[in-house]
Formats: sequence, C-alpha cells, structure tokens
Amino acid sequence: MWQYEKKLQYPVKIANPNPTLAKVIISQLGGPDGELGASMRYLNQRYSAPCREVQAILSDIGTEELAHMEMISAILYQLTRNLSIKEIKAAGFDAYFVDHTTGIYPQAASGVPFTAAYFQSKGDPLTDLHEDLAAEQKARTTYDNLLRLIDDPDVRDPIKFLREREVVHYQRFGEGLRLVQDMLDSKNFYAFNPSFDK
Amino acid sequence: MTSEQHKLMKKLQACSFALTEANLYLDSHPTCADGLAYFRRHKDEYEKARAEYEKKYGPLTACAAEGTRKWEWVTQPFPWEYKANEGGED
Repeated sequence: MWQYEKKLQYPVKIANPNPTLAKVIISQLGGPDGELGASMRYLNQRYSAPCREVQAILSDIGTEELAHMEMISAILYQLTRNLSIKEIKAAGFDAYFVDHTTGIYPQAASGVPFTAAYFQSKGDPLTDLHEDLAAEQKARTTYDNLLRLIDDPDVRDPIKFLREREVVHYQRFGEGLRLVQDMLDSKNFYAFNPSFDK
Repeated sequence: MTSEQHKLMKKLQACSFALTEANLYLDSHPTCADGLAYFRRHKDEYEKARAEYEKKYGPLTACAAEGTRKWEWVTQPFPWEYKANEGGED
C-alpha cells in the first residue's frame, strides 16, 4: 500500500507564472514519455519480475515516479496561477483553458489525453526491462528538449533534478537486467521468458 | 512559511533524498557493506530531521497527527503551493 507524505521530493518555487511553458511541460505529466506512464509501467510490470531485487527496483522506482508526477503537477499549477483572460489568450493557453480551466489534466503537449497505450507490461522480465531502459532514455531526451525551450531558472532547476533521476533509474534498470540474465541457466541460453517457461 | 520552517523542510528533503538513493542502490546491491553503512548513517539523520519538523510544524503523514484539539493535517499548506516552498514570511 501507499501513504501520502506532505512534501515534494525536490522544491518547486516558481515566482513568475508563465502558461506558455506549462503548455510544453504538461507532456511530462500525461505525454508518451511522461511520469504518469512511467509510474504505471513499473507498478504494473513488477508482478511478473522473477526475483526480489527486480520486484524491489520496479516498486521503488514506480513509487518515485509518483513523486515526480507531483513535482510536474506543482510546476504546472504554479505556472498557471493568477492568470487573466488576456494572459491566457496571449499565451495560446485558451485551447486548454476551455476544457480544464487551470485544473491539472494528464495530456501530451499536443493535447492528446493520457492513455495506457503509452506503455507495455509484457509478462517477460527481459522484454519489460528493455522497455524500461528505453523509457528512461526517452524521458531524459524529453527533459533535454524542455531545457532547450525554458529560460526561467526557477523552472529549469526542478526540471534538471528530474532529468538526473532518469539517468539514475536507467543505471538501476541496467543492473536489474544483468541480474535477470545472470539467473538464466544453460537450458535457457536463448532467454525464453524466464517468468513463464520455468 | 517562515524561513526557519523552510530551512528545516529543505534539510528533510535532502536527508530523504539520500535515503531514496541508498534504497534504489541497495535493491540491486543488497549485500554491499558501504551501501548499508551509508543507509544507516542517513537514516539516523532523516529520523532526527523528521521528528524535529513534525514537532514544530505538524504531521507529514496523516497518521502522524496528534488528533487532540484539532486535525493538524489541514493546518499546513499542501506542498504544491508556492508558499509551501518559499521562506519569505518571518
């Protein structure tokens, strides 16, 4: 089970609202390589992990991704506070505003709503861990692209923290993949699904 | 949030982050003596910082509330608020 802790993993303190930035950052909430998809990917995959180490990695990183979802949502919330209709129109934030006002809704920057089709849970730990490694790199690239688009240091600071976490998670998943491969014996040299073909 | 509360929150976030890092590392290195020592050291620091924060400013989880005269869980800002992250109001 989970218990909510009333603190952010890393501070989010944005002095100046800016809906133009919120329009692109929202992709890391509900976009194809966003934090919601990351969390759901790992928390669903963990049941077919073949050893305690990989079960732990998926549970703990999946949990940390929930904290990252909260950080992205805090960034979006602070960037869109106290806006006038004039500012909303000038920033082109009206398309989002008409459906959600300034509520937080998981969608990609393009406006496509979050979908579970963004991730897979294949029931084969080798397949799933390769997806997880790719997912961390795709999220890292998205953060790199966001950093190219954002100048405000108040916004860059938490985005840089989140980018670094993708790198650490990639490392941990690599170790998980090595652990699973080391468990394969000579009878399963070609790495058929070790969670199903026992 | 006062600057003292803000300072203590930042310390708590730092201690908590050290524990998160140790946790993920130990998941794939469960017998690493250096990793375990790092975890124990930061766990002590985290527990002290957490106890001090909760004593002065209220519960970080609903279950940590005292539940005596009023429900303290609703007396402090939720962490996505700007004012929960800045330390300007002394």
